[in-house]
Amino acid sequence: MSQSENERFNQSPEAGAVAPCWSCKQPVAARALFCHSCGAVQAPGQLDHFARLGVAPGFDLDLDRLEKQYLGFQRAMHPDRFVTKTAKERAIAEQQAVSMNEAYETLKDPLRRAAYLLERAGTTAAVDKDQTVHDPELLMEAMEAREQLSEVATIDDLEKLQVEAGAKAIDLISQLSKAFAADDLDAANRAATRMKYWRKFLEESRARRAALEDAL
Amino acid sequence: MAYSEKLLDHYDNPRNIGSFDKNDGGVGTGLVGAPACGDVMKLQIKVGADGRIADAKFKTFGCGSAIASSSLATEWVKGKTLEEAEKIKNTEIAQHLSLPPVKIHCSVLAEDAIKAAIKDFRTKQGSKDKAAE
Repeated sequence: MSQSENERFNQSPEAGAVAPCWSCKQPVAARALFCHSCGAVQAPGQLDHFARLGVAPGFDLDLDRLEKQYLGFQRAMHPDRFVTKTAKERAIAEQQAVSMNEAYETLKDPLRRAAYLLERAGTTAAVDKDQTVHDPELLMEAMEAREQLSEVATIDDLEKLQVEAGAKAIDLISQLSKAFAADDLDAANRAATRMKYWRKFLEESRARRAALEDAL
Repeated sequence: MAYSEKLLDHYDNPRNIGSFDKNDGGVGTGLVGAPACGDVMKLQIKVGADGRIADAKFKTFGCGSAIASSSLATEWVKGKTLEEAEKIKNTEIAQHLSLPPVKIHCSVLAEDAIKAAIKDFRTKQGSKDKAAE
């Protein structure tokens, strides 16, 4: 983000509530990393992950832009830049870096991003809850896939299953995208759960592969 | 993490692993999942003419605690009436296996699987009774 773009963003409604700077007491937006008046680094404000990284909220994210924003902010908060500053400022910069990491880790992963969007819309995703699901179609799909995996005898056959599972996981990204675009939270929640099961399948398939290779 | 001997025993020698034909009228199937960990559990009961659970089978893809919980559940439901089996609480399963707190939800999954299997059996009986009328 250029300087002027950044300024504009910090003055927009997404920049978050305005609070006094801890150092000079002049007003600063929650989104600002530094006070415009005295230049002191600011503690992470109450912001959602999208606003924190300066990207438009939604499931469809420009991941390159997300990464660029994140790396830019991380550079600004790098400890090397704070060696001559006070201990308080160093601590604040570190808090900022932690908040940015959390935002980036959550947003860059489609499953975590989906769960975060559901949370933001007021529903906790099934993948974030210790709760039993009874969706027969979804569970049947998971059960059959895991049965196939447990019965697979050659690495060739295993790879076929992995390719299929990978394709399903990718397809679910577009299903999530459609569900969020249509504001259909139930469909998004279900797609997120399915994605979780396919990921688990892929995880298990790697263990299975190691076992098959050992047996060779 | 230290697991109890009972848990390890059920994990190493799971009881009643397998499947019944889910279309068999005397069979009830419970299929449940824990999306938080990507576990899936199938528990089936076969109900005898006397109304007691004559046999039970399970198939679980999940962690050791989920496998042990469902293995224990199949042992416990055998010989019980549906009403008795319904009363099995996840806390009893968790206690018996000394599940660590982070694995309590595995015992919840097993309890939910028993309830789902009973429900499925009753639904089937209901539709059979209706067909007979």
